[in-house]
Amino acid sequence: MNILLLQLLLGVLFLSIIFLHLAKKNFVTVIAYGVQSFAITLILFSSFLETKNLWLLFVVLVIFFVKVVLAPIFFVRLIKKHKLTFSVSTYLNMPLTLIVLAVFATLAHSHIFLPLTSIVPAHHALLSLALSAIFISLFLVINRKDALSQAVGILSLENSIVVFAVFAGLEQSPALQLGIIFDIAIWLVISFVFISMIYRHFGSLDTSTMKHLKD
Amino acid sequence: MEFIIIILLLVISALIAILAKHRGFIEGVSVFSAGIALLGSFNIAFRVAKFGDYSPYAFFSVDAMGALLLLLISCVGFAAVAYSIPYLRKETANNIIGLTRVKQYFCLLNLFLMAMFLAVSSSSPIFSWIAIEATTLSTAFLISFYNKSSSMEAAWKYLIINSIGLLLGFFGTLLYFTPVDSAVGGGFVNWQTLAVNAVHMDPLLAKIAFIFIFIGYGTKVGLAPMHTWLPDAHSKAPAPISALLSGVLLNVALIIVLRFKIITDAVIGQSFSQTLLIVFGLLSVVIAALIIISQKSYKRLLAYSSIENMGIIALGFGFGGLGVIAAILHTIYHSLVKSALFLLSGNFLLKYHSAKIANVKGALKALPKTSILFLIGFLTITGAPPLGMFFSKLLTFSAGIGAHPVVTVISIIFTSIVFIGFLMHVSAMVFGKDLNEETKEPKKESIWLLLPPLALFFLVLFLSFYQPLFLQTLIHAATLRY
Repeated sequence: MNILLLQLLLGVLFLSIIFLHLAKKNFVTVIAYGVQSFAITLILFSSFLETKNLWLLFVVLVIFFVKVVLAPIFFVRLIKKHKLTFSVSTYLNMPLTLIVLAVFATLAHSHIFLPLTSIVPAHHALLSLALSAIFISLFLVINRKDALSQAVGILSLENSIVVFAVFAGLEQSPALQLGIIFDIAIWLVISFVFISMIYRHFGSLDTSTMKHLKD
Repeated sequence: MEFIIIILLLVISALIAILAKHRGFIEGVSVFSAGIALLGSFNIAFRVAKFGDYSPYAFFSVDAMGALLLLLISCVGFAAVAYSIPYLRKETANNIIGLTRVKQYFCLLNLFLMAMFLAVSSSSPIFSWIAIEATTLSTAFLISFYNKSSSMEAAWKYLIINSIGLLLGFFGTLLYFTPVDSAVGGGFVNWQTLAVNAVHMDPLLAKIAFIFIFIGYGTKVGLAPMHTWLPDAHSKAPAPISALLSGVLLNVALIIVLRFKIITDAVIGQSFSQTLLIVFGLLSVVIAALIIISQKSYKRLLAYSSIENMGIIALGFGFGGLGVIAAILHTIYHSLVKSALFLLSGNFLLKYHSAKIANVKGALKALPKTSILFLIGFLTITGAPPLGMFFSKLLTFSAGIGAHPVVTVISIIFTSIVFIGFLMHVSAMVFGKDLNEETKEPKKESIWLLLPPLALFFLVLFLSFYQPLFLQTLIHAATLRY
């Protein structure tokens, strides 16, 4: 696949994470995650086109099913079931959040992480962007108060790591990739059940209201 | 063959727990599987002691440290399964849980044991990661087992923090693959391949990768400041699960850190990884000690004690030399004693229906056997002489006093604070005056609730004064490697 197209797909991934930080409605959060996962699937599909490994194609199809189809369906069902239209707030306000995002993006492009971003020198810019995506996804989990956004943040972090691995030439064998996606699928189901239970117990998905455990 | 039998039996037990309708059958199958796993682990340990690393299949490989951990998983696992039967029956009798919950419990418990076996015995770092992630997934529902708001909160915290940690660990793991040709072994890279290719790794990349590994898997180990999930999860889970979480799972995650330490040391020398272990180890001891003093729940007290002891183990590996043998011995003793203490905490919980220290008074009269065992456990875990943990702590501090006197002195001071904190709380629980008419009456203690922790104590007592030859060989081999 054309390198420009791969750059575009990585750009979609990065922008989708920024969008996840800005989104106020849960439905658009889920859609953004679906778009992000579709971009990942296309990037992995390009690996298949290069190698013509049919096992890899099978992995791509499984990833497509789990991340692009199953995950959004699960989350949308959850939103409809509990009428969770609006996402609860963040710990930092919007201007501060944007400043932190800028700091993380700068950090990922700085010389501190040069050993990481120059694993494949030709992909330096792509790896820097993928590393930014990792940091920003991590911050999404930390900054968001609601359980659904935290779950999406974890899945987004996983997507960012996968895309970094692809551009750094660190892709695993199809068998191991299947094992990883199996774990992700189970994680998805468990987080779905937990989010429902949290809503039943606390009446909202706001994790900052959980204060039963204190030393 | 042992690996296949152990894994298959645990999977079958998990399936039977879901499909079978007769409670006794589910319990019997689980005990049988745990028993076979115990025998299988001894067989593997004997082989490793006699012939060195054991890898009968491409996917499995056990070194000396792995064999020691397999023994710990199976010993504590068997005790936890055996204890779970009377414990859950009492809870059913008290109308706390029903048969469906019991079925879920045994299914998840067997899957949890299987995941730990796989994590330790897998020859691939990625497969180990998958298995460790599976331990998180199988235990999340066990932590929220009682379906209370507090246990739900603990389970969500556990799931999110550990998932972040493990994803960072996964990222770190991938970075170690940079010097390896992707065509090697058909894309299946094992620990040995990583070690062989380590010399070609960029030193700066190795440092960054180890930091990701340390923070990622260190979260699962419970090292401060990534420990915040641990006291909540370990205190909210049913007692036998807390025993496995505190006694075994922390060590399973630690062995992964240590395996990456060997690879990192081959690239940049030992000082970097040792410094990290010392800094985070010391921080764990200090934070745990300060919180133990003001602790209000006896289950959280035990959980913080696990953080302190994992800190001491990290210090031992960080000091190197004599410290490594001390850390390995401390791992063995801590695993057995802490599991026994968590099982005993279940006896208190059944009697007093509360995990608050303030609600448990005069236990020596109400639960004399449990109280005496708990006292012995407290003395052992805090390192009182003459039991094994006294010697392992002494060895750790002896190893550190020369090269790291300040760290060692601070550690000694804070482990003394842990002793004082424990003494304060345990004496209040055991010797305090119970004014509650309902709980102060002595209650007949079930022998089945005492035997599993008693067996673990006997094992610690035995190993404190005598170590069989095969165990000595394993400890020696593990010391040389790590």
